[in-house]
Amino acid sequence: MLISLDWIREFSPIDMELPPDELALKLTMGTAEVEGVETINMFWKEVKTVEVTHIEPHPEADKLNLVSFKLNDNESFRVVCGASNVRLGMKTIFAPIGTTLPIGFTLEPKKIRGILSEGMLCSEEELGLADKSPGIMDLPETTPVGVDLLTLWDKKEDIIFDIDNKSLTHRPDLWGHFGMAREFSALYEAPLNSPFSEEWTKNLEGLFNNEKSPMGVNVEADSSCLAYFGLSLDNVLVTDSPQWIKDRLLAVGLRPINNIVDISNYVMLELGMPLHIFDREEIEGDSVNIKCLDKNLSFTTLDEIDRDLVAGDTVICDANKPLVLAGIMGGLNSGVTEKTTKLFIEVANWKAAEVRKTSTRLGLRTDSLMRYEKTLDSQLCYRTLLRTLELIKQLCPGASVVGKVEYDGQNLEDIKPLVINTSVFEITKTLGKEISTHKIIDILERLDFKVTKGDESLEVTVPSYRSTKDIECQADIVEEVGRVIGYDNITPVGPLLDVTPVRLNPLHIIKRKAQDFLSQHSHAFEVTSYPMVGKSLLNKCQWPNNLESLKLVNSLSVEQDRMRDSLIPSFLEVTALNAKTYDDFRFFELGRTYHHNEKNFSDEKVVLGVAFYSRKSDPTLDLLNHIERLGNFLNIPMDITDSHPKFKNNLVEESWVGVHPFEFKNLRIMGKMDGVVFGIHPLILKNFKIKGNLAIGLIDLTQFEKRSIKDKLSYSPLSKFPSSRFDYTVCLDENQSVADIFNVLNKLKIKAEVRHKIVDIYTPGKTDCFVTMGTFLSDPEKTLEGDFIKECEEKIIFALEKASIYLKKG
Amino acid sequence: MVEQLDSLALEFKEKIKNLKGEAEVLNLKSEFLGKKGKVSEILKGLRNCTPEERKVVGPKANKLKDDIGDLVSLKLQEFELVQINQKLEENKIDLNNRESFWFNKNKSGGIHPRSMIQREIEDVFLSMGFEVLDGPHIEDEFHNFEALNIPGDHPARDMQDTFWFNDPDSPEGKKHLLRTHTSTIQVRGMRERTPPFRFIAPGTVFRCERTDASHEMVFNQLEGMMVGENISVGNLIYFMKTLLKEIFKRDTEVRLRPGFFPFVEPGFELDIQCLICSGKGCSVCKKTGWVELLPCGIVHPNVLKSGGIDPEKYNGFAFGLGLDRLVMMRYGIDDIRHLNSGDLRFNTQFSAF
Repeated sequence: MLISLDWIREFSPIDMELPPDELALKLTMGTAEVEGVETINMFWKEVKTVEVTHIEPHPEADKLNLVSFKLNDNESFRVVCGASNVRLGMKTIFAPIGTTLPIGFTLEPKKIRGILSEGMLCSEEELGLADKSPGIMDLPETTPVGVDLLTLWDKKEDIIFDIDNKSLTHRPDLWGHFGMAREFSALYEAPLNSPFSEEWTKNLEGLFNNEKSPMGVNVEADSSCLAYFGLSLDNVLVTDSPQWIKDRLLAVGLRPINNIVDISNYVMLELGMPLHIFDREEIEGDSVNIKCLDKNLSFTTLDEIDRDLVAGDTVICDANKPLVLAGIMGGLNSGVTEKTTKLFIEVANWKAAEVRKTSTRLGLRTDSLMRYEKTLDSQLCYRTLLRTLELIKQLCPGASVVGKVEYDGQNLEDIKPLVINTSVFEITKTLGKEISTHKIIDILERLDFKVTKGDESLEVTVPSYRSTKDIECQADIVEEVGRVIGYDNITPVGPLLDVTPVRLNPLHIIKRKAQDFLSQHSHAFEVTSYPMVGKSLLNKCQWPNNLESLKLVNSLSVEQDRMRDSLIPSFLEVTALNAKTYDDFRFFELGRTYHHNEKNFSDEKVVLGVAFYSRKSDPTLDLLNHIERLGNFLNIPMDITDSHPKFKNNLVEESWVGVHPFEFKNLRIMGKMDGVVFGIHPLILKNFKIKGNLAIGLIDLTQFEKRSIKDKLSYSPLSKFPSSRFDYTVCLDENQSVADIFNVLNKLKIKAEVRHKIVDIYTPGKTDCFVTMGTFLSDPEKTLEGDFIKECEEKIIFALEKASIYLKKG
Repeated sequence: MVEQLDSLALEFKEKIKNLKGEAEVLNLKSEFLGKKGKVSEILKGLRNCTPEERKVVGPKANKLKDDIGDLVSLKLQEFELVQINQKLEENKIDLNNRESFWFNKNKSGGIHPRSMIQREIEDVFLSMGFEVLDGPHIEDEFHNFEALNIPGDHPARDMQDTFWFNDPDSPEGKKHLLRTHTSTIQVRGMRERTPPFRFIAPGTVFRCERTDASHEMVFNQLEGMMVGENISVGNLIYFMKTLLKEIFKRDTEVRLRPGFFPFVEPGFELDIQCLICSGKGCSVCKKTGWVELLPCGIVHPNVLKSGGIDPEKYNGFAFGLGLDRLVMMRYGIDDIRHLNSGDLRFNTQFSAF
């Protein structure tokens, strides 16, 4: 919203000479964010009136003239001019070199067909006064020469503040200049001169008479109307507004239309309360009815757009039809035109939530709606009506009131002022700054609060226009004092606190450790992908669930319109993107997955996903090794097992076509299949145009949110006796694997500490596979005897042979 | 005799200098120290000496033996060194052939730049006694709005464009949505605790906004809250200044101006002096010299009430910080969309080693 300092100064004498940036800063720091500040009308000081003294044709161009003129006794100029209406003795307007015209064009010294032009004679178009103009301005004969237009046209320099509307969300009182002036007066400790005295009210009420009002007001109780004032006027003459009104409106970005429309805008911008003026002759019947629509209908607003209204929308109707969409916009049928002579003025207040609902549905935000949706004060309506009457009488002295003000709506006297009890102690304690009682009362009174001082307490009566929504409790009073004092004037101080130890929760610790391990040991990069996925991605994956149950109604695109239940589809996308750039890469994500649930609507899992990609080799075993090490590092007890016929994996549907037929391992954590490592099936990779191999590992970390992990590390005394080792090589056929060897060995009962490890694997042909095993034996109490060792060897070999695993021959 | 020993020492030193080979050295050694060596020869004359002379000559002779032994081992090591070096030269490796010079051999890794900044901030607050919390992404209207003093008809609901779920079964007022701010964690945090307490809550939030270089529909915030008996605006400013000093590793000029957020009263916008232009005004700060960094304020009594806390007895402050924005400021990242792109050309720039 734009605010004019010149307008503010009508109510509070703020020094015009203060630097604009300083004024803007003061307002930003005390009231609302100023997004920009601009000095206007400086331009009119630069352009001046001149009288043409000499005209000669341009020697090089048919349509151009060389025009000379005097600015004053000492200075004369010559310009190249293409206007056809230029003539000797003409009074017109001269912009010298260096001037920036309102149309955004700066005059620079330039030769036109070889002759230097010392500036420019201006048309209305070039001065931004008209959209189009036939030639240069032709001023009246009587115009004095050498005068700048600021003086000639009695314009004023002004400072315009552009205020961020968002920072006024809670302040309906600041949507007009009078309210802003009150802020300036509080911030600068300047007086606030309110013209709206009791005497002023009485004078204007003197214009009412005893005739019957030609237009009555009838508010239906279920409508969104809180208060409705109406006043009828006759003998109005619709013309152009005087320049001062036009200037004010233009300064804050509104286009002047005619005196009556301009007055309604002017009053709204001054007092923050919207109003509507009807051509009374367009209203059928002798009253306006404010009611909820009982059926849907189409209504053409004054911007000539048909709007679909629905039952329940509040409208202002005459005997036959709706005239205005309450609080938002008038209809095309009842507005003021050049022919209008009889007026009906409406100043009303509406329930914020309801007009907002209608406006949101229609996607129609107007100046009026922006004010009503902030919750206005019904008690300001009457003043607004009188101010409108005052301006109409000022601009059309012939206009006359017919009857008196008509009113319907809530009983305004029932509205009791809000009183808040607080104390200097509470205010200063919350702000953390000593402020004198006198100062606090002064600030509140400047902001129109009434303060009664008790022994310890302050009884603060809130102005009605502040208590519609904004001010509710003591905290709000603290804010009023704090912002005027300036928060920057409060000294930072550490609070007195009990010392208690804090730690990250177990899940958070695991996340950090996993990040460190995977980045530093596994050489993977952490990524974050979107938690939303779309149908086309799921199709590409042949994903077994369509995820319709967690679908957004207002997604931004169909590619991201539902919540993912797994990191896998996102990982395929990330892999496809990076496989274009890199031959080998590894990445991981600590992400969420979302699962619909009848009872709570949804559950979320915290999942660690790790992906290894390699163009040439198969990374699945490598990934499994890293995940096993990660499990040890994180102290997560984890068994690596094959697919189980009964207990299925919780993180991937094992029947999904993307699961590699031979590369799949469950990670069983605390008895549950809460982890998985598997290769992605080449068919799915092909769908993503990924050449190469991809392995994905997933671990559900959700349970560690609450459960801390025990430290598994333990120490046993170093053995004083030597250990023994013996190696042997067995031969596996194509149907056997090293797991078969371990299955046998782990079942053996040997009376010593024993470990079996693979020493080497040799695969000379396609079928045979030779595995050299090492068995390590030790006893903490004694040196093992040769006989015992021999016995063990035989036991092992016998057991292996029983399982058809034979020693390598020769 | 002493003179003889001294001259022998000089002689040995002179002779050993020019020897070439192990055998020559060992021969020289036995020439001097052997049973019939030069030293023994001289020491034969010892029996004719007086006890006083013996006291001088004895140690002198022993020292000479030791010195000769040391010189011999040194000389032998010299020869060995040459031999080993020859072998080393045959098997030498090229230390210039480092993996960082190779295509596709540079196996680095790293955490997300957002995680790095998040950790830093978490650690600052941990050190000041704040816990770290998070909550669900899918929330209901109550936790996202009502409990935070944003009733159904409040215009502030427009300030945050919300993603809503297709959710016909939940009652009005309990409809499900993607949380628009981490402030939802305030509500959950308060309900699980009794004052005094303090916590921060970093997390992902969602806004139904068209994305561009500076807007994302999925981004990250960090919420903070402290509740106790006498918490003041002065305390809030203290914590914010401390935080910023730790993050930016220098005293940062900040300013606190009024800002409207329904869940705090009084509410503030905290601006920091633009780090790009040091407050002179540039395109980043839109010529103002200040960058809006975090909204904060004294917790609204209604919010304390929805958290089950007596606002007559306790008060507190809360703040929110745009984590992604901070990451972008710290590293000069030009497009917020890179953060969630999964494009490793971006992530590899933040490798840990």
